[in-house]
Amino acid sequence: MKPHRYAGCALAIGLALAPLNADARPVSYPSGWTVMQMNNGDMSSAHIHYSPTFTDSIGLYSERNWGEDWHFTGVQYNRLVKRWNKPNSQANLYLKAAVGQADPFGDGADVEAAGFVGIGADWETRRWFASYEGRAYDLGFDQDARQSARIGVAPYIGDYGDLHTWLMLQVENQPEAETPTTLTPLVRFFYDVQLLEIGYTPETEELMLNWIVRF
Amino acid sequence: MKLMLTALAATTLTLTAPVVSAQESVAAEAATSAQTMVTAKVNGMVCDFCARAVTKVFGKEAAVENVHVDLDKGEIHVTLKSGAELSDERVATLVKKSGYDLVSIERETA
Repeated sequence: MKPHRYAGCALAIGLALAPLNADARPVSYPSGWTVMQMNNGDMSSAHIHYSPTFTDSIGLYSERNWGEDWHFTGVQYNRLVKRWNKPNSQANLYLKAAVGQADPFGDGADVEAAGFVGIGADWETRRWFASYEGRAYDLGFDQDARQSARIGVAPYIGDYGDLHTWLMLQVENQPEAETPTTLTPLVRFFYDVQLLEIGYTPETEELMLNWIVRF
Repeated sequence: MKLMLTALAATTLTLTAPVVSAQESVAAEAATSAQTMVTAKVNGMVCDFCARAVTKVFGKEAAVENVHVDLDKGEIHVTLKSGAELSDERVATLVKKSGYDLVSIERETA
């Protein structure tokens, strides 16, 4: 097997295992790299990006949508439009855009040029968290959209370097999905440069598993 | 008499010069080895995962020996290498690059 096939297999396995809202921090520090891998029962995605500045990042994004039967691969650009730094809170507004190609797997249709645009916003203190993200896809053969929002609370306030835990509730709306609106309770952990989220969606009986690492 | 005074002055200068020189040397060495801790108070630093940027950004500076983040106080504590300097302007730039807003800077030399 050639090396690029190994990489392809690794990506496919990763995708088989990566949703939307953990992506609410799409920009890192200057010269920082971030890998995001997100999964729920309807979709899996992988996103690796590089931040040349603290307001921009660019990278590769791949998403396999199991619910709608399509696969998108492209280049994604993220922009921190505005940040509000307050003594005890921070809020952010992001824009995201990607261009690439999409194919409706399984029905023999051709690959088509595709892309999406999105907006993300979050607000947090050391105790409370709230976020929103919306995306609209043009896949050539189809259009798709989804949005989600989260609220969260930290059961304890950890110091820098501790293991941090958040209890969150996510509501997601995908008009084209079989179950358009879902509620997902989840737990977010982060330690050092790693972030892990585990959740469960009762309506669809699907597991959520998200992972982010920065380096 | 004049000859004696001249000889005395010469002797005094000869004996005291090394002492003065040694004192200056010790003072200069102390100044060079003095370690400065810079405390930058910032706004917006509420998340450990995001504050990792502070360690990364400040850690790349040649003058920086150690970085400590205090989320409770919203402070970044930077220990400089012996004799190294980090200007207020540079600290402000690094705080901005880390994604936060600088409120104030305090310095303490040990």
